[in-house]
Amino acid sequence: MTQQRAYTSGSVLLLVGTKRGLFMVTSRDREKWEIAAPTLKGHRVFYAILDQRSGSRLFAADNGDFFGSFLRYSDDFGETWQEPKMGIQFAEGGGEKLVNIWVVEAGRASEPGTVYAGVDPASLWMSTDHGETWEIDRGLATHPTRERWEPGAGGLCLHTIIADPTNANRMWVGISAVGCMRTDDGGRSWVFANKNTRTDFLPVKYPEFGQCIHRLVQHPKEPDVLYQQNHCGIYKSVNAGEDWMDIQHNLPSQFGFPIALDVHHPETVFVVVEDPAARHNVGQQFTVYRTQDGGERWEPLTNGLPQGNGVMLGILRHAMCTDTIDPCGIYVGTNTGQLFASRDRGDSWQMIADFLPSIYSVTATLLV
Amino acid sequence: MNVPDVMPIVTVSFPDALRTRVGNRRTVAAAGRTVREIIDALDRDFPGLRFNLCYETGELRPYVNIFVGRENIRYLQGLETAVTTGVTLHILQSVAGGR
Repeated sequence: MTQQRAYTSGSVLLLVGTKRGLFMVTSRDREKWEIAAPTLKGHRVFYAILDQRSGSRLFAADNGDFFGSFLRYSDDFGETWQEPKMGIQFAEGGGEKLVNIWVVEAGRASEPGTVYAGVDPASLWMSTDHGETWEIDRGLATHPTRERWEPGAGGLCLHTIIADPTNANRMWVGISAVGCMRTDDGGRSWVFANKNTRTDFLPVKYPEFGQCIHRLVQHPKEPDVLYQQNHCGIYKSVNAGEDWMDIQHNLPSQFGFPIALDVHHPETVFVVVEDPAARHNVGQQFTVYRTQDGGERWEPLTNGLPQGNGVMLGILRHAMCTDTIDPCGIYVGTNTGQLFASRDRGDSWQMIADFLPSIYSVTATLLV
Repeated sequence: MNVPDVMPIVTVSFPDALRTRVGNRRTVAAAGRTVREIIDALDRDFPGLRFNLCYETGELRPYVNIFVGRENIRYLQGLETAVTTGVTLHILQSVAGGR
């Protein structure tokens, strides 16, 4: 008989996707944390979520080094994993092949069986039966500009999916290096949403597409408000991505990967900007930056974060998240295997794990 | 006199990582004239196995090696390499993978 781990209601569960497995880190008070032995051991787990809309189903983007990529699911907190009946695979002989699965997100609360996934080559996949079968969004897959999409360093990856909870027909996706795209008709057609975001690496600084968006978040109370961390800046939109405002202001760098916000105080946004050439903290102090006024001014958060000659920490796009408690917790995983946590909106930090494999992603769920 | 066209039957051995796909067996018999036909036959019996070995575009995954006897098919005719009855196909993880 399969044994199930006991996860207490009211605990916070962090799913930490790494280069060599998926780690589950839990806490009842956000002070003491327990790290379970990894599941999917040895696998490159790009992203994982816990979907509690009906039961507790884990989804993991499992990108094997040898035998293919799979969007696996588990109903017993990782003791056993299932493969979909009809997984994410392009049509045989169709000219495209699955490189990596980058992200998986639960659909809207009103669509409990719907799950979305983003992959390389950039495409959006949807399941309406809780991950058993998957199909591709044809509107994005047949976009008229698709043949001119160029990859970023990590590939041509669809890495961010936002299904607007207030509008069943509206979604945004982030694709490197194509930019932000939006649908207003349930995925049948897509428009670019890149106006006023820069491409410093192209001769045209403000093209229609080609931007390297790194991550995107939506304001939970004002659905037209979005924030993005881009290769070339930090931006805010107040009109659903029709155009963007540069909100770098006093940040020491325009470059970084993750962005997250406090769902209870949505003018509070967190970024981890980096030295763009070295891809680690600017200077010797590892710093998370916070704005509490929607990007007008940023403050460095360093209490409990390491400093020194040997501190050179990089954070990948999916490796920072917040929880849904107030005051919010923030969780940051490094590409050298450290996991930092704050339970007070970033005012203070502790390292809750070290020596993990390179961290690709962190997601946080309050267990019901 | 017409000689019946007999499909070669080969033995295919699998690495640990793929044994659950083939019913926890170390080896499986399969019929086909080429490595590609063998893979197709195996995929009929064990759905999903082709995806483990090949991309949707048809080529062998970069860190999967298939040997016909002691010869790596990458240095023969690739997936079109012919097979003969009694030979063993070894499916192995490449030493170059796992970065």
